Amino acid sequence: MSTADWKNYEPVIIPDIKDLDKIDVYVKNGGYKALESILKDKKKWADPKSVINEVKEANIRGRGGAGFNAGLKWSFMPPADGGPRYLACNGDESEPGTFKDRKIFEYNPHIFIEGALIAAYAMEITTIYVYIRGEYKAYIDMMEKAIADAYEKGYIGKNILGSGYSVNFYVTYGAGAYICGEETSMLESLEGKRGYPRVKPPFPAQKGLWGRPTTINNIETLAHVPSVINRGAEWFKSVGAENHPGAFLYGISGHVNRPGVYELPSGVPVLELINDVAGGMRNGKKLKAVIPGGSSTPVLRADQLDGITMDSESLRTVGSMVGTAGMVIMDEDTDMVDVLWRIAHFYHHESCGQCTPCREGTGWLEKILLKIKNGEGEVKDLDLLLDLTTQMEGRTICALADAAAWPVRYTINRFRDEFEARCKKVIKASNKAISHQS
Amino acid sequence: MPEVIIDGQQYEFEGQHKLLQFIQDLGKEVPFFCYHPSMSIPANCRQCMVKVGQYVKDRETGDYETDENGENVIRWFPKLQTACNIDVADGMVVHTQETDELVRRAQKDNLEFILINHPLDCPICDQAGECPLQIQTYKYGPEGSRFEVKKVHKPKRVQLGPRVVLDAERCINCTRCTRFTEEISKTHQLTITSRGDKNYPITAPGAEFDDPYSLNTVDLCPVGALTSADFRFKARVWEMNQTPSIDITNGKGSNIDLWTRDNIILRITPRFNADVNDHWIPDESREAYKLFNENRISRPQQKLEGEQILSSWNNAIATLTEQIEETDNSKILFIGSPHASVEENYSLGKFTNLLGLKQPVFTPHIEEGTGDGFLITDDQAPNTNGCRLLGFTELDGASLKKEVKKAELVVLLSDHLIDRALLSESDLADKFVIAFATNHSETTKAADLVIPITTAAEHAASYVNTDGRIQRTFRAKEIRYTNRRLDLEMSEGRLDRYGTNFDNWVTEDNKIDCLPLWSFISEAAKSSGLDLTLTEGREIMEEIAETLEPFKGVSYPVMDEQSGIQLSIKSKEKTKA
Amino acid sequence: MAYEFTKEDLKEIEKIKAKFPEVMPATLPVLWVAQKRFGHVEPEVQKLVAKTLDLPEAHVHGVATFYTQYYKEEKGKFVLDVCTCLSCQLCGGYDILHYLEKKLGIKTGNTTEDGMFTLNQVECLGACGYAPMLQVTNDKYVNHLTPEKVDKLLDDLKEGKEPEYEKIGMPRRKNI
Ligand SMILES: Cc1cc2nc3c(=O)[nH]c(=O)nc-3n(C[C@H](O)[C@H](O)[C@H](O)COP(=O)(O)O)c2cc1C
Ligand code: SF4
Ligand code: SF4
Ligand code: FES
Ligand code: FES
Repeated sequence: MSTADWKNYEPVIIPDIKDLDKIDVYVKNGGYKALESILKDKKKWADPKSVINEVKEANIRGRGGAGFNAGLKWSFMPPADGGPRYLACNGDESEPGTFKDRKIFEYNPHIFIEGALIAAYAMEITTIYVYIRGEYKAYIDMMEKAIADAYEKGYIGKNILGSGYSVNFYVTYGAGAYICGEETSMLESLEGKRGYPRVKPPFPAQKGLWGRPTTINNIETLAHVPSVINRGAEWFKSVGAENHPGAFLYGISGHVNRPGVYELPSGVPVLELINDVAGGMRNGKKLKAVIPGGSSTPVLRADQLDGITMDSESLRTVGSMVGTAGMVIMDEDTDMVDVLWRIAHFYHHESCGQCTPCREGTGWLEKILLKIKNGEGEVKDLDLLLDLTTQMEGRTICALADAAAWPVRYTINRFRDEFEARCKKVIKASNKAISHQS
Repeated sequence: MPEVIIDGQQYEFEGQHKLLQFIQDLGKEVPFFCYHPSMSIPANCRQCMVKVGQYVKDRETGDYETDENGENVIRWFPKLQTACNIDVADGMVVHTQETDELVRRAQKDNLEFILINHPLDCPICDQAGECPLQIQTYKYGPEGSRFEVKKVHKPKRVQLGPRVVLDAERCINCTRCTRFTEEISKTHQLTITSRGDKNYPITAPGAEFDDPYSLNTVDLCPVGALTSADFRFKARVWEMNQTPSIDITNGKGSNIDLWTRDNIILRITPRFNADVNDHWIPDESREAYKLFNENRISRPQQKLEGEQILSSWNNAIATLTEQIEETDNSKILFIGSPHASVEENYSLGKFTNLLGLKQPVFTPHIEEGTGDGFLITDDQAPNTNGCRLLGFTELDGASLKKEVKKAELVVLLSDHLIDRALLSESDLADKFVIAFATNHSETTKAADLVIPITTAAEHAASYVNTDGRIQRTFRAKEIRYTNRRLDLEMSEGRLDRYGTNFDNWVTEDNKIDCLPLWSFISEAAKSSGLDLTLTEGREIMEEIAETLEPFKGVSYPVMDEQSGIQLSIKSKEKTKA
Repeated sequence: MAYEFTKEDLKEIEKIKAKFPEVMPATLPVLWVAQKRFGHVEPEVQKLVAKTLDLPEAHVHGVATFYTQYYKEEKGKFVLDVCTCLSCQLCGGYDILHYLEKKLGIKTGNTTEDGMFTLNQVECLGACGYAPMLQVTNDKYVNHLTPEKVDKLLDDLKEGKEPEYEKIGMPRRKNI
């Protein structure tokens, strides 16, 4: 299906089916077929590797933000050695503008569970954890229930569906820390520690949970897996943009009439998403800017959006990224200085504080932006801000510092006038001297 | 052999190395804070940034690919790398701050970040002068400050425990201190609290940082965030002399440095020895600095009508000679000491030998259950194995008491036997007791003649630890009869070398009126008409090495070169650590 | 005050421990159990958690202070966590926060004198499409806030009536 056909797309992860969160309804609608197939249909799925190959071929690019091919990631797991191996499912969902994984927990938890089980079988995993942010108390409870049901029906546990394959599946949860969405921070948190991201290498596939091979995937990423198994990699690749195939759970928020989560093919034009999908701008206002994939992705001015589609290639041409496809839409009344300060405040608040450039840099960025917001900044502060972003980017243990630096750089660069207008008028000393003389 | 190219220079290597350590081992430098060779590597300070690339190998031939100019093709890592946690690899190309502008810039940027919330209070900070942050800022840091907003404030002067004080604003969050309590002392008493730029290390609420190794965190802390409650504000580092020595508070023989100013020992810090104490010492070993300063015996003392009064050296020699002459040989008991060095015990033994007396006896000073299997031993003395290897008769408490009972003249070397409750005052009441000692104690009080001798801080001498390793001390502190400027072996600080006596606070009273045991014995022997000249530890050790099998091959130069020598001790003699 | 876990708590803690190959991973969930029981994880409670799990107190303290949802000090009966982050900011999150400040007569971060309400400003809660919104005492989300909705919420809470889970359907779907 080409991108232009998005209107005809039939949702797979969150289809319009009542009570799909109940396991019986899920099964009645073809649920757990993919799991059964890979476990039992030896003709089609000779071994776990064959599953990895199919998923790799499908090119499900990680929906947690980094966009890495899931199957390829799975193939990095070292050969099984009889010891424990883990799959850690990332349900931390805390990047501002992102609120999609919760829809899976709520409306179709079993498609995620099934996807995780398939991933686990493919990588010969012995235990699965799903780590959910602590604030999602409601969804933690829902997932506990869904997993208990799946245990009861024999989809999880010992000798699944008589296949000889066994795996455990547990819910764990955080307690308020955005950084725990970073995969190695999540592992630390899961191990009961402060969420300090780990230095890589070693990568989790080598040394993950308790030093054992571990793969981390986003919830949505895993939820795409059953349909890849059911319908094949070719089908998946036929959906949406070629460079970033499959459906997205677009989370649209901000100044639109119909904010919410929409399952549609990747690569839908940004303006169509705003106008046709999300019901257009609120109160008939004009569009000013869009943050396409969560707060860390570079903001785009309305005039940059013509013909731009929601996939990595198209967004790259205008200097942005898909991220989590959590789109934040801003109208003409939006104060970009306020917005940027608030984003900087977020990263300052959420820096784990482990490494120097991020611990110190995020605070400095916020404090300068506050000064500017209060009308006390000077134009030289803008240049200092830009300088600081280069001092932070690429110098830290994890990508939070980059996530904090990008919005500052791109928002200032793309709305420089607005920032300068907020700065104090400083007459240069040399000018003053001249005016005194004359 | 695999090779790595650092700043254009080629180095061969074998085995596994972290790049930062490798560079340091070459005698080169990359600035760093959080890395410590004996602990895990968090790479959190981000100071040790370098540029790293790899020669590209042709897959088929295995040779390095070259460009049109015949130069090896290098694939650079897209980002700068922290040198502390990256493994040296064959064909790796490294640019440090010496050769790369980007690296220089990154290191400067990082220091700017570290400094923005730092209080910059070096003038009142104990760490000043030995502060990696100060040094590296000076060498690699930014010139001014661009920080014009409010600093983060954190708790100051927090008494973390009995011995360690925290100034959280100075902390750079390197986690060396928390890693120490997790990985080395394993008390898990410290954690980082809070998050982000509010982070700082602390104990659990209400808990005390009373880790028996707590003061190592003060050494580890790369800034003045953790300081020693005892040493705080006492001296600036550049005013002190630093002299290598050996810990004498227990049997481990931890390697230490003595820090002196005006012949007062102000602090003790650990000195690295991979075979003994790595980078650490117990807190109690540091407290021992007081032994060298306080409660010292200065000038011989003699008991007259039950009262000890100051006497003269001549009188002391005469009394000793007289007493030995007047007492029946079989009624003379010389007691050596595990608390004294090999050279002192040997001198004592040689003296008895020439006098035709029996070898000195000794009693080990073991307190079962006080050891911790790490650096604190059950053995309370630094040289138990030394006495054994000298062939002294080892007596338990009861047998010692018996021997003492039989004697009329008891000569004691540096062992506070009454304080150790091995003997009582009444055991010694009807005997003539001569004590060679460094500090006053109940035991010296009971003696008829007390002869002050040098401590480990005032003589160069050797000690054999519980594992059979012989190591030696250096003269750190002058006595009345020595002079730092004339003694080539004594360390000289900046002020000693360039200052006047006035600058250097030379207070004569801080020099103790005592002698090395061997000097006194030589004098006493002369007075008895014996042919015995013992000049210095160094020569005595040469003599020991020539005459006593267990010490074969031991000498100061070899000990110095190898940070001690492992002697073979019988396993049954090995004192439980 | 001496804190003790009840028998049921201890049973739950055993269940938590069974999920992991080691005991340390139980730290976060057991802090939650403690907070549910005592309403906070003040130092004495942290101590209890450390003792129960046989883990160093400093470790538990480090964890408790890293995560913002744990109350390191006693809070009001209801904690109102108002999201003012990006999407909520755009949709009036600060207006709601200020409205609450005025209504409760306290500044953000404080607790009303009667100990009923604590007002906080928090980061994105993952409900950006339903902004502005708040969370009540780490539990239910209240979305699409208006002054009227806030009034009603406060009235309900004062009567001890906690909000229900708000199911927000997918737009343009018939069944969900
Ligand atoms: C600061 C930071 C926060 C992140 N937060 C999340 C998150 O909340 N959820 C998520 O799935 N991935 C998050 N990620 C990405 C993860 O590190 C990781 O790439 C992802 O979970 C891998 O799954 P995927 O390949 O299926 O996307 C975050 C990354 C960073 C650097
Ligand atoms: S970049 Fe920031 S969040 Fe990531 S490890 Fe460093 S301090 Fe922590
Ligand atoms: S107190 Fe010192 S050792 Fe501890 S984290 Fe801070 S700077 Fe590092
Ligand atoms: S020494 Fe390498 S990051 Fe600190
Ligand atoms: S910004 Fe308020 S919930 Fe995401």
